[in-house]
Amino acid sequence: MSLTPLPTLLAQSAEGPVATRDLENDSLWMPNPASTVAGDIDWMFNAIYWLSLFFFVLIVGVMGWFVVKYRRRSPDEKAASAITHNTPLEITWTVIPLLLSIAIFYVGLEGYVRLREVPANAYQVNVEGYKWAWNFEHRNGATSTGWVRVPAGRPVQFTMTSTDVIHSFYIPAFRVKKDVVPGRYTTLWFQADEPGLYQAFCAEYCGSAHSQMTAVIEVLPPEEFDRQIADDAAWLDKVDEDDASAMALAGQRLYARCQSCHSVDGSRLAGPSYWETHDLLVEGGEREMADGSRVTVDINYIRSSILDPGEHIVATYANAMPSFQGQLDEKAIRAIHIFLEELDTLYDRDGNRLAE
Amino acid sequence: MTTLHPTSLAGSTTNYLTHSRGVLSWVFTLDHKRIGIMYLISILGSFLLGGIFALLVRTELLLPGEQFLTQDQYNKAFTLHGAIMVFLVIVPSIPAALGNFVLPIMLGAKDVAFPRLNLGSYYLWVIGAVMAVMAMLNGGVDTGWTFYAPYSTEEMREGVIWVALAVFILGFSSVFTGMNFIVTIHRLRPPGMTWFRMPLFLWSLYATAIIQVLATPVLGITVLLLIVERVMRIGIFDPALGGDPVLFQHFFWFYSHPAVYIMILPSMGIISELISIHSRKHIFGYKFIAFSSVAIAIFSFLVWGHHMFTSGQSALMNAVFSAITFSVAIPSAVKVFNWLATLYKGSIALNTPMLYSLSYLFIFAIGGLTGLFLGTLSTDVHLHDTYFVVAHFHYVMMGSALLAFIAGIHHWWPKMTGRMYNETLGRIGCLIVFVGFNLTFFPQFILGSKGMPRRYHDYTGPGWSEELTSLFHILHALSTIGSYLMAAGFFLTAYYLIHSLFKGERAPANPWGGRSLEWQCSSPPPHDNFAKAPTVGDCYDFTPLEYVPEEKGYRWREDVPRPGSG
Repeated sequence: MSLTPLPTLLAQSAEGPVATRDLENDSLWMPNPASTVAGDIDWMFNAIYWLSLFFFVLIVGVMGWFVVKYRRRSPDEKAASAITHNTPLEITWTVIPLLLSIAIFYVGLEGYVRLREVPANAYQVNVEGYKWAWNFEHRNGATSTGWVRVPAGRPVQFTMTSTDVIHSFYIPAFRVKKDVVPGRYTTLWFQADEPGLYQAFCAEYCGSAHSQMTAVIEVLPPEEFDRQIADDAAWLDKVDEDDASAMALAGQRLYARCQSCHSVDGSRLAGPSYWETHDLLVEGGEREMADGSRVTVDINYIRSSILDPGEHIVATYANAMPSFQGQLDEKAIRAIHIFLEELDTLYDRDGNRLAE
Repeated sequence: MTTLHPTSLAGSTTNYLTHSRGVLSWVFTLDHKRIGIMYLISILGSFLLGGIFALLVRTELLLPGEQFLTQDQYNKAFTLHGAIMVFLVIVPSIPAALGNFVLPIMLGAKDVAFPRLNLGSYYLWVIGAVMAVMAMLNGGVDTGWTFYAPYSTEEMREGVIWVALAVFILGFSSVFTGMNFIVTIHRLRPPGMTWFRMPLFLWSLYATAIIQVLATPVLGITVLLLIVERVMRIGIFDPALGGDPVLFQHFFWFYSHPAVYIMILPSMGIISELISIHSRKHIFGYKFIAFSSVAIAIFSFLVWGHHMFTSGQSALMNAVFSAITFSVAIPSAVKVFNWLATLYKGSIALNTPMLYSLSYLFIFAIGGLTGLFLGTLSTDVHLHDTYFVVAHFHYVMMGSALLAFIAGIHHWWPKMTGRMYNETLGRIGCLIVFVGFNLTFFPQFILGSKGMPRRYHDYTGPGWSEELTSLFHILHALSTIGSYLMAAGFFLTAYYLIHSLFKGERAPANPWGGRSLEWQCSSPPPHDNFAKAPTVGDCYDFTPLEYVPEEKGYRWREDVPRPGSG
């Protein structure tokens, strides 16, 4: 069979910066209100904003006025008043903030309850956070990393967990955020009506590549979504194992899971650059490990590094990689192996993708 | 009762600085004033160190992409910045340095209740500080100052054990200081110094001390549990061992939220003093301010859950914590309105301590009001863990707590050193710091509300929105430029303060016209604070004081009888 054209394939991972719709229709303060709850939340934000601005102008205005009017002109100038207190006045400025606070609390609570109540028949996606990427798994078996496709105009629920430390899934344009905690599930839902790309971040500090633990939310029109997600579920099965270049491209697609720690431009991230591994694979070299041993870099080394990363820790690196046992099957591992071998046909040494 | 004329003390006897000489006379001193000065120097040294790491962080963020710090170096730099600024600078700044120096004199006592414990607190602080800084420099700690589990309990993070132990020791220093202050205020008030004659700075230190004594042990227990889990692999927080990571957050914030008020309450006390004295006008609503300090201390224990609105805790808990959080807004607002009312029809001197106090009003207003966005559930979900939070707590903890500390240093500098600093440079320094501060942190509000998460080494890369990168770049650049400006302001301040030690004019006993008791003794004060028992009156009634041009200071008017003398 022929391979899906490259651009479509790579639409499942982000190789570089992406053009998103986060700043369309934005205000001075808020990004694009792109989910169904965003309008409510922005209304609340604006209400507090104008109230705060009023009090800020009042406080600083009165202060400035008094400072100018009552500034000391000679060292011996005395205060023009000996007033020490005024109980009715003080009760007034205790009660007014109290009433305003109660009002803000109540409206904020209402908005929050709407944020928590998941509508029935939401489209379900399982999300797994790990240092430092997001995996998405749809009910039809389609998986992706760092990029998730969701239908427009329909509630979407993420059921999330972490395999290592606490992360937090955050989509600014949708105004949703929820911590992703190891050992338990947390959930988050949204409904986006406008198709397009939106940014998601990890918001809870999780170590070295925290700032690269991003994801792209691709909101697709319903029919296109159905078609695309069916294809996503079956793409690896359709790759011809005898076609090395097709396998290399499949490996490149899977590389989305690796890119936050392994570079293809030679730079040192949390793990060794794939160029180092490529050179050792092609030239048949050995790699020095943290415990002083030397290990031949071949397909078995690649396989054990993916399934049991703690087995071989490369010298000067920390034991930071999670196991991909159960996530990557044997065919996927072979594809990554071929991708590493063929790296020089896909990228130059600076990480630029080579034209076909 | 007869009283000494303030000026008759000046130059007549030795003061606390010349009372005894030699390094050992400082190392083993039991004098609260010398201990206060030692704290002050140590804390300012820590401030320099924490500030350098802040500048490294800001410089890395000036442009998108990696500049000169790798991801891991950056993570260690912001951890160092946060941990040093919180545990070594802001928490001890006002109570341990200024409080130690001023509290017994303001109260009319010769020293704190337990002078040896006081010296012990200082050395505990030194041991904790050295341990923390060594652990963080040697190999480094990259957990952030919050040490969230299970990240902090992962095996490769050896340094965490040492920093946790250091925090444990620093906690004891804080508890001992708090206990000392509570006992001093209860037991060592001289005749006439009733609770409601105490300066408001003492009320705020008292409220702070209660929080220190009650909340800090929880931090000690939490870090001990962290160490137990690390060393003995007993599952407390790490789910891999059967623990609960969210439990760590509860424990941590049960201390660390009250700790926010350990930082902010003393600053409110300083501002209450300064605004009244430098306006020569009676503080407005004394009792409301005093009780609002105590109210804040009580509420501070009941709001920790607002740090965890997105942690997955139940909606009911979130609702309760949100409601109680708003209750803290009331006493804070009451104080601001009272300060404004104090300015009304005052005689407002625009000297350096007052300019810092007015800056405080401006900055605290923003810091407090932006707290409303974070206490409100629906908006907090969006803003939590973004730069909006970073900006908010810097407005409160740095722009308010730390600038009040600087204001207090300027206010009591003549008393502590016996020298006046260059007033013109002081005003210029304050202006630069004020502008630099707002330029650094205001853009961070917009960064955060537009979605920039905190603790990010970079804001570009694969999977990053191009639009967001270019917007964040502009705002980060503004912020970094602001931080350089602020640093310049602080260096100028350090210059003229150090210069004044050698070349400054001799300070009069009472350069500002203050009526609290420290202004009744000479500048610097004698070893025993008061040659004779001071007279206690209404410390906010400035009418009996007159300006004496030849002294460049204020003294008691001859035609007004002193309280207690009639």
